[in-house]
Amino acid sequence: MDVKLPKLGEGSETGVVVSILVKVGDAVTKGQTLLELENEKSVAPIPSTASGIIQRVNVKEGDKVGVGSVLISVAVDGESNAPTPSAPSSPLASESIQRTEVSHTAPKYAQEPTPPIAVDPSHGAIINPSPAAAPSVRKIARELGIDLTQIRGTESGGRIVMADLRAHIDRLQKLAFAPKAIPGRGQSTPAESIDFAQWGIVTRKPLTTLRKVISRRMCENWTSIPHVTQFDEFDITPLLALRKEFAPAYEAKGARLTLTPLIIKALISTLKQHPIFNASIDEVLEEVVLKHYYHVGIAVDTEAGLFVPVIRDADTKSLLELSRDLETLATKARDRKISAEELKGGTFTISNQGAIGGSHFTPIVNKPEVAILGLGRGTLKPTVVEKRIEARTLLPVALSYDHRLIDGGSAARFIVDLQHNLSNLTPADLKLA
Amino acid sequence: MEAIKTQLVVLGGGPGGYAAAFYAADKGLKVTLVEQDPRLGGVCLNRGCIPSKALLNATKLIGEAQESAKRGIVFAKPQIDLSTLRAWKESVLQKLGQGIAQLAQKRGVQVINARGHFESAHQLRIETPDGQGFIEFEHAIVAVGSKPALPKIFDLGNPRIMTSTQALEIEEIPQSLLIVGGGYIGMELGTVYASLGSKVVVVEALDSILAGADADLVRPVMAYAKKAFQEVRLKAKVVQMSTAGKQIRVTSQFNGEDREELYDRVLISVGRVPNAEDLGIENVPLTRDDKGFIKVDTQQRTNTPNVFAIGDIAGGVMLAHKAAKEARIAVEAITGEASSSSHVVIPAVVFTDPEVAWCGLTESEAKAKGIQVKVAKFPWGASGRALTLDRTDGLTKLIIDPETERILGVGIVGHGAGELIAEGVLAIEMGATATDLAECVHPHPTLSETLMESAEVFFGHATHTFIRKTEPK
Repeated sequence: MDVKLPKLGEGSETGVVVSILVKVGDAVTKGQTLLELENEKSVAPIPSTASGIIQRVNVKEGDKVGVGSVLISVAVDGESNAPTPSAPSSPLASESIQRTEVSHTAPKYAQEPTPPIAVDPSHGAIINPSPAAAPSVRKIARELGIDLTQIRGTESGGRIVMADLRAHIDRLQKLAFAPKAIPGRGQSTPAESIDFAQWGIVTRKPLTTLRKVISRRMCENWTSIPHVTQFDEFDITPLLALRKEFAPAYEAKGARLTLTPLIIKALISTLKQHPIFNASIDEVLEEVVLKHYYHVGIAVDTEAGLFVPVIRDADTKSLLELSRDLETLATKARDRKISAEELKGGTFTISNQGAIGGSHFTPIVNKPEVAILGLGRGTLKPTVVEKRIEARTLLPVALSYDHRLIDGGSAARFIVDLQHNLSNLTPADLKLA
Repeated sequence: MEAIKTQLVVLGGGPGGYAAAFYAADKGLKVTLVEQDPRLGGVCLNRGCIPSKALLNATKLIGEAQESAKRGIVFAKPQIDLSTLRAWKESVLQKLGQGIAQLAQKRGVQVINARGHFESAHQLRIETPDGQGFIEFEHAIVAVGSKPALPKIFDLGNPRIMTSTQALEIEEIPQSLLIVGGGYIGMELGTVYASLGSKVVVVEALDSILAGADADLVRPVMAYAKKAFQEVRLKAKVVQMSTAGKQIRVTSQFNGEDREELYDRVLISVGRVPNAEDLGIENVPLTRDDKGFIKVDTQQRTNTPNVFAIGDIAGGVMLAHKAAKEARIAVEAITGEASSSSHVVIPAVVFTDPEVAWCGLTESEAKAKGIQVKVAKFPWGASGRALTLDRTDGLTKLIIDPETERILGVGIVGHGAGELIAEGVLAIEMGATATDLAECVHPHPTLSETLMESAEVFFGHATHTFIRKTEPK
């Protein structure tokens, strides 16, 4: 039985093998993670599709593989151990295409090649698969190294004219001169290695792949997004009372009613009031993308590092379903059994540190989302209620947002509405059907 | 002989080769053109496009004169003097050949009449009447073309079994002529010989003549052939041939039965094969496909980076204008320009009676590939110009993308279709929509109006035809 690379999701056909967790002869069970694969969006474990003995590992760390490539062969329990013939993982079609298009040698009398316009390769979305343009326009595009499939034509029938080409070049130039995201590795000159052992005993171990990915993403998000973090404290005393009242009923259904699903409920209502917080910026087309779906990312702290699995269509789910989803996703993340698909497509992220402790912090926006909500631990604090001091539980709230898209006023209104929506949760909202 | 040093050597002086040599010279390269034939121009000029069109045009008059009788103008039976016809045809080739030679000279392109053989990726050995020589080159363009296929079972060494090369010589007008292969070469030459008075029988293995053309475009040609030829046999096969005195005995299978017939002459037109033998291709080396054509990328570059291949030898449709376009692409690649053969629209024209021409996407191709298209047709019966020409056996059709209304393909059958198709090429290359075509004023009365009117058919308001709308709005 061959384990092939499954389709990883929209627009993501390839990935790089970052670690192989099994070797030939190992016994594996169905669902056990065989290897980890990194693509543009995430590091995803690839589970075994059957139980059995590993017969052959067709890839090595660092290999770039495409959808359908045979990664690992497993002799399924009960089947003969004779090796099944399997094609080695095929080289990427896209790579071989590129190779043929590269001109092999520069002839002596060739003109100096125009320096390519620096573009973030992640902005390579094909938006016009069969572009119509006059031969003269196509010629200039070829000369400038511009891919017409990335341009939307404005003329009748979607025809691309010179003005469209110019506008596209303008956009690319703006992008090229925009502050560049600093990649966590490669490109930039590596910092000098420091011999820390000269000052005392140290232990060195390589950064895990996940850590490298986190590092790269965080750098990129931190440097490319102008962050502002809005703080507040929500009085959740009545909400906690409600939770306490209904928790046993949820318990009876095998679910833990924590604060997070309640926050999600209030959050969804708030996102609907403020759609700009459930949006993305398309930097290439210079468009705002408002999403009419609500997929909430939940930051999960695991031994290996940070994972952000996504609860799909959170707006359609009941508190019970949300509670269950939260638990399932968190467990899967900790066991590293989360699929690449489950890590994608988030529209807004919640990072709740309450279970650990701590107060306000400044979360980093999870690109391409534009805002993230950070929650600390609710603590009893003396609070003025109707001119009297009372002990109330206050929840530290921190909303980080992308100031390119969202202004301070909007953020303040968002926080106010979120608090309002949270305190407006009633027993009817919590009651199980 | 001292080795010639050149920046670019072009092997083959056909419409691809000489176009490449001239363009490269115009761009300032030192160019050497090697051609084994004493006259430049390749198959196109010497054994293909030009002589066949000269003959088609000359003989067309015979049929037209007959047709004229019903319009009240009656001609006597024509006298055919084959030697004068041949001489006139030859004079056309001579004029064109000299023209090319002069153009080469004016550009400073060194033309060498020799066989070329690659010794390496930088050296070509040449065999001239004066002896052997060598050319050291930086870049090479291989444009050696193709030749008519002559399957072994037909190759009896009998001159009465001809390929297009011999058929164009018209040594005689055979009483009976069998044409094996109903592609464009067979149909065009069949038309010439039928006009001259031969009884022509066409045997085609497929279920239609002119493979590649849409069925509705083939229909008028088939109608002509049924009238002018003795017979057109589809899904038929010639299995054996033998010499029978001054005739050829032919065994064929048609309609499930074997036939044995005698023909004065046989024309084999079953395709063309690359001239890849004895070129030293293995010394470069160049990779070829399973049919023997040299493999190239979208810049006509072979697996050896300084060697390019264009025209028939590079495979694809074997048409002179495709070779000429590839010549420009290869030269631009050599001079470091960003040229590419992708998305180039190559029109096809068959000079039968009536002519068939198409470009871009065909209706059958769209169907085969599952591409959603709308087809707008304008029958020539509704064209004033076609009626005055007494040639209403025509059809103009547009293949249109229903979403963008862009014109993806154009097909024309009818008198002068070969001239009309150029507008279709322009429309597709420019990304024109049906509106663009409909909005452009076309002169009246001309056949070009059929293009405009077919675009109007798409919108349901063509002036000269009425289409009942099937979709309620």
